[in-house]
Amino acid sequence: MNPIFLAQWMKEKRSPIMVLAFCGLSILATLLFGFGMDNRIKIGVFPGPGVEASVAKQWIEHLNEGDAIEFFLQDEEGARSDVRGSRADAAVQVMQNEYRLIASTQNPNVRLVEHHLRAVFQEELQLRAAAAYAADERGLREEVQRYLEQPPMAVEMRTLDGSELVRYDMGLQLLFTFTLFLAAFTVGFKLNAITMEKAAGIWSRMILSPVRKSEMYLGHLFYSMLIGFIQVLVVFLLFRFGIGFDMGDHFGMLILVAALYILAITAFCMLLAGIVRTPEQFNMVFPSLVPVMPILSGGYMPPGTITNPILLGISEILPLKHALDALTGIAIYDKSWLDILPSIAKLCIIAVICMGIGINLMERRRA
Amino acid sequence: MIEALELRKVFKGKTAVDDVSFYMDEGESVGLLGPNGAGKSTTISIISSLLRPNAGDVRLNGTSVLGKPQLIRQVLGVVPQEIALYQELSAYENLKFFGGLYRLGGKPLELKIQELLEMVGLRDRQKELIKTYSGGMKRRINIAAALLHDPKIVIMDEPTVGIDPQSRNHILETVRLLNRDRGTTVLYTSHYIEEVEQLCSRIYIMDHGRIIASGTKEELRRILSGEDTLILQLDKPSKRLTEELRALPPIRQVEETESGLKLIAAKQSDLLSQVVQTAERHQVQITSIHVQTPSLEDVFLHLTGRTLRD
Repeated sequence: MNPIFLAQWMKEKRSPIMVLAFCGLSILATLLFGFGMDNRIKIGVFPGPGVEASVAKQWIEHLNEGDAIEFFLQDEEGARSDVRGSRADAAVQVMQNEYRLIASTQNPNVRLVEHHLRAVFQEELQLRAAAAYAADERGLREEVQRYLEQPPMAVEMRTLDGSELVRYDMGLQLLFTFTLFLAAFTVGFKLNAITMEKAAGIWSRMILSPVRKSEMYLGHLFYSMLIGFIQVLVVFLLFRFGIGFDMGDHFGMLILVAALYILAITAFCMLLAGIVRTPEQFNMVFPSLVPVMPILSGGYMPPGTITNPILLGISEILPLKHALDALTGIAIYDKSWLDILPSIAKLCIIAVICMGIGINLMERRRA
Repeated sequence: MIEALELRKVFKGKTAVDDVSFYMDEGESVGLLGPNGAGKSTTISIISSLLRPNAGDVRLNGTSVLGKPQLIRQVLGVVPQEIALYQELSAYENLKFFGGLYRLGGKPLELKIQELLEMVGLRDRQKELIKTYSGGMKRRINIAAALLHDPKIVIMDEPTVGIDPQSRNHILETVRLLNRDRGTTVLYTSHYIEEVEQLCSRIYIMDHGRIIASGTKEELRRILSGEDTLILQLDKPSKRLTEELRALPPIRQVEETESGLKLIAAKQSDLLSQVVQTAERHQVQITSIHVQTPSLEDVFLHLTGRTLRD
C-alpha cells in the first residue's frame, strides 16, 4: 500500500494546484457569500388605499422593534413584483388598524413574519383601545413602557424540544456547505487516478506484482480521503482561529463529522468510478453531478426551505445533507453525539453501500 | 517452461482468441506475429494471468496457473503495449515505485535501477519527468520497469510501436541482450516481421484469433518452398493485367506494390514467359523482374491473402 500512497503524494507535490485551488475557493466563497451576511428577513411594507405613508412608517417603527425581521417602506408595485419574482418571501399592506400579508408560497419565513405581525398589531391595537379610555393617553403609554421594561415575570422563548431558541447562522451553514462541496471535488478527482491507472496499464502492472488488490485500493482510498480531509481541516481551522467564526464549543466533534463525511463522499465517488467506463467519462459526469448536491441538500438555503417530498427523498441519499445536518446541529444548536446519531448512522450506511457496490462494479468491469 | 493449451476467449459474443496453443522453452526467444486485432494482446493477457480464458489452460513447468496466478506472476515481467508509467514522475521515481511494488528497497533497488537505466541508455536523463521524454525513451523506461525483479520470463507486447529508429535499435539490442546474455525467456509480439525475424528463434503467426502457422524461420519459409516470389516493376498500373495474372494457374497471390506487382507463384519453368506475354498483351512494359526467396511476409500473404499491415 505504501508505494501506491507515496506515488500519489509525489504526483501531488509536482502539481498541487488543484488542492490549493479548491482550498482557496472554499475560503473565497464563504467570505463572499457567508461572512458578514445579513441574515435578517427583509419585508417590504406599503400603505393601503387611502392610508398616508406616515401611518405606514409608524407601523414600520413598531414592527422593527424585533431584530429577526427587517421591515422597510416600499412602493406597492415594487413590493408585489418582488414577491411574484420570489425575490422576497412576503410583503405587507398596512391600513390604519389592520394589515394584509402578501405571499406566493407558504414557507417558514412567511409563517415567522405572520406571527410577528399578529403579535405587534395585537399589542398596539390593545394599547390604543386602553388609551382611548384613559384620561392621559401619553401617560398611559409611558407607564406601560416602564412596566414592560421591568416586568414582574420574564417570558423565555424555547423551541418545541425545550432547548433555547437560537438565531440561525446562515454564514456558518454556507461555510460548511462550500467547504464540504469543494472537498468532494478534490476527493473525486484524486480517486479518478484509479480509472486513469487502469486505462494507462499501471493497474495491470500492479496486479502482476506481489501487492494485494486490497492494498491497491486502500492506497488510493486513503490518499484521496487524507487530501480531502486536510482541505476541510485547513479551511475550518482558518475560519475558527484565523477569521474568528463562531463554530460553537465542540470543534473536535465538527472535525470528526467532517472526517466521516470524507469517508462517505469517497465511497460515493468510488461508486461513480465503478459505474463509468473511462477516466474521461468520470471527468465529464462527476463535475455535472456534484454541484447538484448542495442544492438538493439545502446547503444554500435556510433550513426548511425545501418542502418537496421528492427532493427531500433524493437528498437522503446524499452524504452532504447528513453532514450538514450534523455540523449545523453541533455548531449552532450545541447538539450532542446522541442527537446527531441519525445523521452519522446515515453517513456510515452510505459509505458502506457505495464502497461495496463501487469496488464490485470496478472488478466486474475488469473481468 | 510455459505452455498454453487450447486457449479461448470471447468478449461479448466476439471470439478474440480461438483454440490457441503454444509453448516456450527456457531461454527461448519466441515471436508472436500477427496484424493488429489478431488476438496477440489478449493471448498475452491470458498467459500473464490478467485475463481468465473461457476455455483452455496455461501451465508453468507442467502446473496449471489459472487457479494460482501468483506462480507465474513471480517469474514474469510484462512490457505492455501502452506506456504504463506515471507521466508526472521522473524515470528514476517510476522505477523506484515499481521496485517498491516488488518489495525491493535500499541499496539493492538503487543498484538495480542504475543498472537498468544503463541498459536502456537513459542513465543520464533519469531525473527528467516521463512526460518530457520522446515516445522511444518512454518505451525504453517501460521495458526497464518490467525487469526490476529479474524475471525469468519477459513478455513484450509490441514494444516498438511508433518510435524513432534510434530507440527501436536500442530496444531490439536490449531484447537480444536479455535473451542471449542473461538467458531470459522472451515472448515478443509484433506486427513488424523484420523485428521478429531478427530476434526470435521460433515464431507463431496469428490471425483472427487463431494460430495459423508456427515453427522456426526456415520451417515457415519452407511453407513456400514450392513457390517463387516475383517482384515486377511496371511502366504503368493496369487493373486488367492484375486480374489476368491472378487467373493464371501457377499464380497463388497477386499484390499491388508502389511501382508494380508482387506475385507468389508455383515454381514452373515457363512462369516468366507467361507473365511477360500477359503483360505484352495488355501493352504494359515490365521495367524489371526480381525473383526472390519467400520472406515471412510472403508466408503471411500466402496464408491469409493479405499483408501484415492491411
